[in-house]
Amino acid sequence: MQVWTKLFARSPFKPLIKHSEVVIEAVETLEKALEAWKRGDYEEMNRLAVEIDRIEDVADEIKEEIRDSLSSNLMLAVSREDILIYLHMQDKVADAAEDTAKWLLVKKPGKIPAEIEEVILQMGAESIKAAKLLHEAIVQMDRIIESGFSENQIKAEYRIIHEIEDVESRIDDLDTELMRKVFEIADNLSWADGFYILNIARTVSNISDKAKDAAERLRLMMKPPKE
Amino acid sequence: MSEVDPWLLMTIILGFAMAWAIGANDAANSMSTAVGANAITPKQAVIIAGVLEFIGAYFFGKSVTETIRSGIIDLTRITDPNVLIYGSIAALLAATLWLVIATKFGLPVSTTHSIIGGIVGYGIVYAGTAIVNWGKMTQVVLSWIISPIVGAIMAFLVFRAMTRSIFETGDPVRSAHIWSPFWISLAAIVIATMFYNKVLHGSDLRTGVMLYGLPAGVVTFLVAYPLIKLHFPSDDPLVGVESIFKRVQVITSGYVALAHGANDVANAIGPVAAVYAVASMGMAGMKVPVPKWLLALGGLGIALGVATYGYRVIETVGKKITELTNTRGFTIDFSAATVVLIASWLGLPISTTHTVVGAVVGVGLARGVKAINKDIVIEIIISWFVTVPVAALISAAIFKILLLVG
Repeated sequence: MQVWTKLFARSPFKPLIKHSEVVIEAVETLEKALEAWKRGDYEEMNRLAVEIDRIEDVADEIKEEIRDSLSSNLMLAVSREDILIYLHMQDKVADAAEDTAKWLLVKKPGKIPAEIEEVILQMGAESIKAAKLLHEAIVQMDRIIESGFSENQIKAEYRIIHEIEDVESRIDDLDTELMRKVFEIADNLSWADGFYILNIARTVSNISDKAKDAAERLRLMMKPPKE
Repeated sequence: MSEVDPWLLMTIILGFAMAWAIGANDAANSMSTAVGANAITPKQAVIIAGVLEFIGAYFFGKSVTETIRSGIIDLTRITDPNVLIYGSIAALLAATLWLVIATKFGLPVSTTHSIIGGIVGYGIVYAGTAIVNWGKMTQVVLSWIISPIVGAIMAFLVFRAMTRSIFETGDPVRSAHIWSPFWISLAAIVIATMFYNKVLHGSDLRTGVMLYGLPAGVVTFLVAYPLIKLHFPSDDPLVGVESIFKRVQVITSGYVALAHGANDVANAIGPVAAVYAVASMGMAGMKVPVPKWLLALGGLGIALGVATYGYRVIETVGKKITELTNTRGFTIDFSAATVVLIASWLGLPISTTHTVVGAVVGVGLARGVKAINKDIVIEIIISWFVTVPVAALISAAIFKILLLVG
């Protein structure tokens, strides 16, 4: 009977994982761009920044597809709202990477002190961790449902979420350190360079902020939906 | 009664057509979860379903046939044998037509609903609403509402219990070693008990459990336990348990097919049996045992339906249900089969489709299925309430025409 072909709707989790893979790609490309930036290889940096823009578009496309397929007429194992907000946050991770790329593109940097560069690169490296952990977290979410919300799987998910929170807090510390450093040497820094550095730092730390917000949604998904 | 013979022949042909439609329509119900979870190929599914539907119909079908044939309308009120013949033809034709139309539009309807609607339709035209056994009818309607709900509750509980006993323990692989055989044995107990109840016509459930169910369960456990212990397919309990239940699913799906044959053959053969009673005894309303060859014919019709049309359905289903894992499939099959066979033991005509849909929703409510289409669930519920009146109207119209022409 055709009821069988219609009764089961497509689960949003595999597409969410696919979206997450694209997000990782965006953040990884950003890390490469930051390295090129540090090397002073501006041509390569530009190329990578444009590439991030393209990857972000792919993420957007997948996001729209998931949104369109998540009609309110589905009975889901987790709340639809949580999925949509999660998706929004996961997409914001790629957006934040793109924002950083934009900043890299708009201005050819002047002399940036090496120690500041170092902090920014560290922030970039930590951001990759956040994005990768988030990917792990959504894959784990899929496993939680596979196991029928088993306690063990839920515990494993909590561990990943904690790690994401740790990374976020490390990046926050780095961000604060960077701000302090920028103001310490403010006299030797042009207004434009300072503005540039701080905005790059802001957008990079946004990556982990959004990853953390997304992880928070996963935490909510593990509780039974209200509907 | 040589002058009714052509009519009997016609009824038999119609009953066979109805049986074919039942097989064509419901084939996917028993096998879909197994095919969907990649436990068996569509081709294997068709062979297993065909054979087991026949066995179910032939061996298990008796008492339910009695219920459908004589329970819904008061046959003693039909004094004219021709009325019973026309009526049975009208009911069968209406049900078959409605099934074919509904299938064309992709509407999930119940064969049981269809035939009951058909019988009620001609009954009311002939003798007014008084002929309908409303007590029985209420019981039947209630069972339609209750069977999916019970199916859902059962599946919910079974699914929660399965995950809790295996995945949520401190050592899931160890738990899987013990609890997988336990669940398999439980399924064996149910199957064996119902075998006693249906094939051997035992009435004492306790005897059935003690003499058949428990021994079968113990034997199954003794076989399954060392097998699973020695050949646990993986270090990962999620993967391991799924591959164990992949095999078990073949058995539970077969069990559903068996139960379906036992229950739904009555929909095709019930009206034929009523006509047969007229043809052989010369009067309506007599209680005669349903001859075995009629059940065999019904079983053959269902099996043929599975083989000719069901194949396509099963194949489509196998490709479309990608979200169903083996443990879910097992849960749905096990729950639905148990509910269906218990209901059939109680003599209630229930629909396999409803129970299975209920079980799917139950697993969904237990957060086991990632996404279920709510629209379709609502559509199904609406179709449950529409089928009886529609089949009744078609049957009434055919019956009137037959009265005028005949």
